[in-house]
Amino acid sequence: MAGSGQIRLLKRRIKSVQSTQKITRAMEMIAASRIVKAQRRVRAARPYAEQIHDVIKGLAVSNEVRQHPLLLQREVRQVAVVVNTSDRGLAGAYNANVLKVAERTIREEEALGRTTDLYVIGRKGAGYFSYRGRRALRVWEGISDTPTMDAASGIAETLMERYASQEIDRVWLVYTDFRSSLTQQPVRMELLPVKPDEFGGGEAISPEFLFEPSQPELLEMLIPRYVEAKVFHGLLESSASEHASRQRAMKSATDNAKEVAASLSRVMNQARQDQITTEIMEIVGGAEALASDN
Amino acid sequence: MAATMQVEVVSAESHVLSGDVRELYARSVEGEIGILPGHQPAVIALDIGPVKLVMEDGSREFVAVHRGVLYVDKGSKVIVLADLAELGSAVDVKRAEARKADLERRLAEDDDPSLRSSLRKQDLRLQVARMRES
Repeated sequence: MAGSGQIRLLKRRIKSVQSTQKITRAMEMIAASRIVKAQRRVRAARPYAEQIHDVIKGLAVSNEVRQHPLLLQREVRQVAVVVNTSDRGLAGAYNANVLKVAERTIREEEALGRTTDLYVIGRKGAGYFSYRGRRALRVWEGISDTPTMDAASGIAETLMERYASQEIDRVWLVYTDFRSSLTQQPVRMELLPVKPDEFGGGEAISPEFLFEPSQPELLEMLIPRYVEAKVFHGLLESSASEHASRQRAMKSATDNAKEVAASLSRVMNQARQDQITTEIMEIVGGAEALASDN
Repeated sequence: MAATMQVEVVSAESHVLSGDVRELYARSVEGEIGILPGHQPAVIALDIGPVKLVMEDGSREFVAVHRGVLYVDKGSKVIVLADLAELGSAVDVKRAEARKADLERRLAEDDDPSLRSSLRKQDLRLQVARMRES
């Protein structure tokens, strides 16, 4: 019978849609729990960033911070752009949005006659740029899901080294700012040079202060930590945003699957009803034929 | 003079400890230091070493600190900004020992400075965990 074949086909499709729905629901729930964790890490990292900023501020007032190699501003010729994307997909427009900002930054800098070096965090960004024939100088993978301070210092070190040796004159960090679980904003931040006015407005440290080792040496040690903390912050914000995007994408996928399954089962029910009607008609028709034969 | 000082121990990844402290001992890059309430304001770079705190109620806390800065404010406020910090009570001794044994074995095969620094970290963690027990 043609009817039962169609029903079997529909049944199979409904099953496959439902199992997809199970997967997307699981991913949604995992992402939701990860958001909370990621947000907690953003909060946990905040005191360090604030305190180190305060300490530098205190040290910087009386000092010749402006001479620090990471604060020196010079004419910009070579720009580094660091893009923070995810390793895994299925996160809605998360990667597309942050990549758009990165592309815009590159275009703007190149329109001003500067050359750009590309650094990519995350497999998705690496794929995007290599497909478009733009070679990234360095790709970091496996850190964007749950970033560690170690990873952040590694990234920051690579950039600071090149800045200090004057190979690059400016560093943009492009990442996604986690505003709330509903809004994530791709943003860019000028990582290097460190702006001297970021440390402005501090109270001058009184001469009674004891320094061990000397003040310039302390600054030498603290400013890189400050840059690292900034990179770390960007990584954490991005990872919270990634999980939030994924949660939303997976929620709408689950909803869609539910809808598709419902409409498919409606079609299937109708087909089954048709089949039953046809069968009854046949039986009745057969019985009538037999009766009239008698 | 205040009998206690407010201490905050903060690492790059988390807030480790805060509380009122009577005495604080640490290892700076230039040697052992002790901080008492009313200490002269100071900024001191820390080496890899244990930080010992005598809390207000006389109990002791030990923190493994891997480099960082100790900041003593005028108002008897002390901030320890560590690159990495871990409370002695949070150290999993068994795992740290396993890691240490593993690192020693690898170090015997190949003398890598990064391995040696990891070994130093594990040593410190164990030291801090044991100080707490004794």
